[in-house]
Amino acid sequence: MAVTQMDPFAATWLQREDRTSKVRLTANPDYWDKDRGPRLREVVLRNDLTPEEALDLVCTTEGEVDVVTEVSPADAEKVENSEHAELVSTEAIFTVAGVINRDAEGLPLADRRARLALNLAVDRERLVRETMFGRATPLAGLTPPAAVPEEGRLKPHSHDPGRAAELWNEARSETGGGERPLRVAALGGLEDVARAVAADLEGALSVGVEVVVYRGEEELPVRRRLAEKKLAQGWDVLILGHGAQFAESVVAELHRAFAGATGEFRAGPAVPEFESLFAELAAKTAPPEQAEVSQRIDRLVRDESLALSLCAPRALYAVNKHVDFTPYRTSFEFAETSVDDGHWSRR
Amino acid sequence: MVERGDPAGTIKVVDPSPLNWLYITYNTVEELVRAAPDGTIEPAAMETYRWKDEGRTLEVDVREGNRFPDGEPLTAHSVERAFDEVMLWASPHPPGTQFNFAPGTTLEVTGEHGVRFRFPEPDGQALGKLRAMHVMSTPFWEGPGFGYERQGSGEGHW
Repeated sequence: MAVTQMDPFAATWLQREDRTSKVRLTANPDYWDKDRGPRLREVVLRNDLTPEEALDLVCTTEGEVDVVTEVSPADAEKVENSEHAELVSTEAIFTVAGVINRDAEGLPLADRRARLALNLAVDRERLVRETMFGRATPLAGLTPPAAVPEEGRLKPHSHDPGRAAELWNEARSETGGGERPLRVAALGGLEDVARAVAADLEGALSVGVEVVVYRGEEELPVRRRLAEKKLAQGWDVLILGHGAQFAESVVAELHRAFAGATGEFRAGPAVPEFESLFAELAAKTAPPEQAEVSQRIDRLVRDESLALSLCAPRALYAVNKHVDFTPYRTSFEFAETSVDDGHWSRR
Repeated sequence: MVERGDPAGTIKVVDPSPLNWLYITYNTVEELVRAAPDGTIEPAAMETYRWKDEGRTLEVDVREGNRFPDGEPLTAHSVERAFDEVMLWASPHPPGTQFNFAPGTTLEVTGEHGVRFRFPEPDGQALGKLRAMHVMSTPFWEGPGFGYERQGSGEGHW
């Protein structure tokens, strides 16, 4: 666990996994909500396969694996072309964005103009096309489009490398810094995103950009250091993915994490205007009012460039063709899932 | 496809998500609210709710006729027990303390199927937080609990 703030006490857990090889879930046929389910007698979670092995099995066999989650966009076509599986997807309430280190030594990232320059330098359409194979949506602030009705969605930053260079140079000449390379880091499977972002920044801002990727056990100390905020970070932009439990709680989970006083991903001082709006949101109980304040918070994050807004990837699943699977935007649940008479378990 | 009636069939799933532990909880445990497939909050063990006192009071009607898989009725007293258990811990939820109810939050049972939360300050996020307050039957709390038996603590195990 990392303590992010003592008053009021706030913390985030830094987890390691210790899975058994299989977990078996058995239906409760007496559950009150018969319309919902359960429709399956049993779900077996297999932890004895790598994701690569699982994807291969669901595509080429029957009876070994029926559902694989977290399919990479790069593998989506393989699933679509497979004999036994189909690709099921949904617009997830999940964000891929960069934490901007507003405390970075030697770079002007405390200056809004420099942060805005980063956002204007990134070509989100190309990022989505080339690193997500088109299976994502560009972000405006941090709110994934799926969390708000179409009429409430903000417009993403335009791709304007010329204006980005002007703003970067203005901030650099007035506040100093910017002589050293910019360090772009990424967690987990986001290396391709980090490299595409780095290329855009290098091209637009005429700065050197180094890319570092933290994998597996390397992630934990990076997350701890960021959550605790006592030691300097080893990067200027850290690209990561983060989701919310509900569409209605996106700001409490995503925006708070990246920019809030209790935020485990905040890198830089707390932002009074953000805190004021966040307190206003906490006092709202009517959904329309919550949505209105939430949009103002997302606009503040976009306009102040409190994060490097990138994209909202779709959640992709490889699913056996005899399984009728209902994807959730914020979760992974089986209550509505059923199998037909041709499924291996019912033949 | 099986629409209603008796559950049928088995599926095998590989879920490399680091939130797999949470999804297992959501697939097996009842809460007052849950997420609909589109990600919005919808009632589960809760039938209805009412905000009062400008967000400082939340009254919840607990669904009647609901039972845990072991047959124990799920009533307002089950919700009270879950609240008492979660409030024991400073940081029970692995995602972070953002799912905590503020210190000073109270719950009173208003009837066999009614509870009233009182918050020290308005808490417009409270409905969502109810999903992190897992409602369990008595043998669970007296036995394994959330990390009680195995770890000797519920911190970070909800």
